[in-house]
Amino acid sequence: MELKINNQIVEAEAGELLLQVALRNGVDIPHFCYHSCLSIAGNCRICLVKVEGQPKLAPSCNLIVAEGMEVSTDCPEVQEARRDVMQFILNDHPVDCGICDKAGECRLQEYQVKYGEAEPLSLEDKHPKPKFYDLSPRIQLDSERCILCSRCVRFTQEISGSKQLGIVERGHSARVERMDQKPFDDPYSDNVISLCPVGALLSKDFMYQSRVWYLEPVKSVCTGCARACSIQVWRRKQEWRFNSFGDELNKKVYRITPLENEAINGPWLCNKGFDMHRTMSRERALTPMVGGVEVSADAMIKAARKLVSGAQNPAIIISAQASNEELKAAQAALTDKFTVYTRKDYGPSHGEVLEDDFMICLDKNPNGDGVYRIFGRNVIDNPLEHDLVVVWGDNLRHEDVAGARLICLGSFASGREKDREVFVPISTLFERSGTFTNFEGVDNRFEQVFEKPSSVLHAADFFRRLSE
Amino acid sequence: MSDQRIFMNFDVTADSHNLAAYRDRGGYQAFEKALREQTPDDIQAEVDASGLRGRGGAGFPTGMKWSFVNKQAPVVYLCCNADEGEPGTFKDRWIFEHNPHQLIEGILLASYALRVRHAFVYIRGEFDLPLRRLREALQEAYDANLVGENVLDTDFSSDIIVHRGAGAYVCGEESSLLTSLEGFKAYPRNKPPFPAVKGLYQKPTIINNVETLATVPWIMTHGGAEYAKIGTEWNSGTRIFGISGHVNNPGLFEKEAGYSLKEIIFEDAGGIRGGKSLKAVIPGGSSTPILKADEIDTITLDAENLQKHGSMVGSGGVIVIGEGTCMVRLLQVLTRFYAHESCGQCTPCREGSALMNAIISRIIAGKGRSEDVERLEKTTKGIMGKTVCALGDAAAMPVQSFITKFRDEFDYFVEHGRSINDGRLEI
Repeated sequence: MELKINNQIVEAEAGELLLQVALRNGVDIPHFCYHSCLSIAGNCRICLVKVEGQPKLAPSCNLIVAEGMEVSTDCPEVQEARRDVMQFILNDHPVDCGICDKAGECRLQEYQVKYGEAEPLSLEDKHPKPKFYDLSPRIQLDSERCILCSRCVRFTQEISGSKQLGIVERGHSARVERMDQKPFDDPYSDNVISLCPVGALLSKDFMYQSRVWYLEPVKSVCTGCARACSIQVWRRKQEWRFNSFGDELNKKVYRITPLENEAINGPWLCNKGFDMHRTMSRERALTPMVGGVEVSADAMIKAARKLVSGAQNPAIIISAQASNEELKAAQAALTDKFTVYTRKDYGPSHGEVLEDDFMICLDKNPNGDGVYRIFGRNVIDNPLEHDLVVVWGDNLRHEDVAGARLICLGSFASGREKDREVFVPISTLFERSGTFTNFEGVDNRFEQVFEKPSSVLHAADFFRRLSE
Repeated sequence: MSDQRIFMNFDVTADSHNLAAYRDRGGYQAFEKALREQTPDDIQAEVDASGLRGRGGAGFPTGMKWSFVNKQAPVVYLCCNADEGEPGTFKDRWIFEHNPHQLIEGILLASYALRVRHAFVYIRGEFDLPLRRLREALQEAYDANLVGENVLDTDFSSDIIVHRGAGAYVCGEESSLLTSLEGFKAYPRNKPPFPAVKGLYQKPTIINNVETLATVPWIMTHGGAEYAKIGTEWNSGTRIFGISGHVNNPGLFEKEAGYSLKEIIFEDAGGIRGGKSLKAVIPGGSSTPILKADEIDTITLDAENLQKHGSMVGSGGVIVIGEGTCMVRLLQVLTRFYAHESCGQCTPCREGSALMNAIISRIIAGKGRSEDVERLEKTTKGIMGKTVCALGDAAAMPVQSFITKFRDEFDYFVEHGRSINDGRLEI
């Protein structure tokens, strides 16, 4: 059907909401409470538009389009209504942007600049509410900044299903609160942080770490489970690099946020995904070693080649954390005498959700599916009887490889690097790019966030050089 | 002017509210007749012909409301809105206390007309005697097989469920009544969809006021045409008006629609207490715009006339204000009420009602500023017509009408830090 928005004819499907149609056609209607994945609340009232022939302004988030409808989104009446709503919202808002982590990506700031009025409506004292209040060890709530759009409440009711948040009290005293006395321990709780259009819900992990305008996101993939959700890894922008505080702050991941990906995760991510940067900042193993002695990369590869050529019956254990590109490089490098085993290098850690019917998968590795596609399934069920085993990835069960000589490829320190015949330090997820295939067979690409340390090798390079 | 009474047509005694007394007055005959001889559409036709309009405040034609329901829908619910919380209104309470069976018969007739299996009565939490009377009456009706399975050995079954509210004014708004009935926090819903399409548990639902439903038995006994003869052309029937405030004889008076406001104040209610003169009238419950004494001469209590004078007939609660009353303080009473009762869902009402109350309270405290009245006016404009439900408008309308009509009192209070009426209620 056709309708007119601001005298422009636009196409729409029956049953669509005017807000959706407008946003799709590049007409910017401000909105706080509307979210495409949540039910319609219609409570912020900033998306009011004028419909020709209707006496009252209508909220565009709850307005179903009709043939021939004529809508104005910027007539004086609508502008005035927006100004009024902005003034109402800011009545009790503390406007403490100076100490608010949301500043820079806050809708309230954005709309105040675009649609607000400089003069406040109210001269009254601001209404005090709980401030800097912990909902859980991960999330801090500031009820004074909250505009009661109920997005977080609807998220726990409709998406994660924990129903842990609600709005208590009435009228002016209404505030978001946990519905029981427990901490807000929903495994998807951190989504409410990015869902919050203002600075009411903030991550305690990212709290006061950086202003968001100094940061930039890099597209990446979460390695927490076989769903391989798209994420954004936030690093400091090149032009804002620190010169005098040391390089750590420039090579630090400040936070992880979900990246909207219809095919895999929608706009959501579980808490494990939000913690990816912590997983990746464990102590690294950075130096190549041969027989417990630190050597150069060339010497290490030479030693590895010698071991492989001397082996009668070598085996390799493939990592489910490796990208498809690395797996193919390994496949090309391996000769027929290798027996290939597959394994899940990472299992669930203590207290982690094993599996649920929303997003979290039982397999805690991102590329189990890619490994099976390239190498087939050959799980280790008995202790291996090989004279040489190439172990790719962390978390080796030593009883599986007892008696064999080991070439180990690992990123993180296990404390046993010195015991290996050859130890190859390899790059982490953030230091390389590639593709994972998730458990539903969808490919998901990740980009390099940081340069790898010079002493470390990409696993693909190692296999290539091994076969030279 | 006809003297026809639909509610107050019997002597109230200690037993007049029970089933036997109601039967003696001809009760449940209309229902029995309808059940045995008439079709649901006959009832709809009579209600259409009667021109009955909702008594809750908005005055929407009842027959038209009923006709919005899809007759083929497998489940239709009926809710009786008995959350009578509007300040100045106390008419439903009388019906519960003295004639609960008339309401039950009305609910049964409506249930039969709308093919309703389960009807709900959402009764105000503060009502104690009304609730007990309703429960007693319902028990009597169940025992007499007037409600329940196979009523009077016919195919018609009906259950009436009484739900007691928890004291929120906003539950009187029909969609938040449904949300509350479903067990959630009473937030009004966005419309469309209207309750007649998607109401209680997402099923078509009709919500009617107590007085509206209790009128239906009379209409079915005497016919819709007879009912339409009472009252004015567009406002048929009688209404129970509750007169409160500075009058000698406050109380409930059943008058036909279109009755003179002046007459009801000065004759039925006995005039202003202490021989004082009239200052103002709030004609239909606290949220309707106020009228000054010099405006009321030509006013009759029907929707058209009051609308012409910039007010509303609302729920029929007439609040009479005598001379010497400080309008600033009176407005503070109202704004405090609305600020307290705003559910907090949508921005303009949540923030606006609190802001209006804060400004007026500051004026009362003697700290008024010259721009306060303009700010109040701007706030009301920001609220009106922009909220989810009508509570925002209800909060803003009195403020708007008070400051337009009694501007001098507000200006005086702001300037001098005290009331033009010397701060005392002289009544």
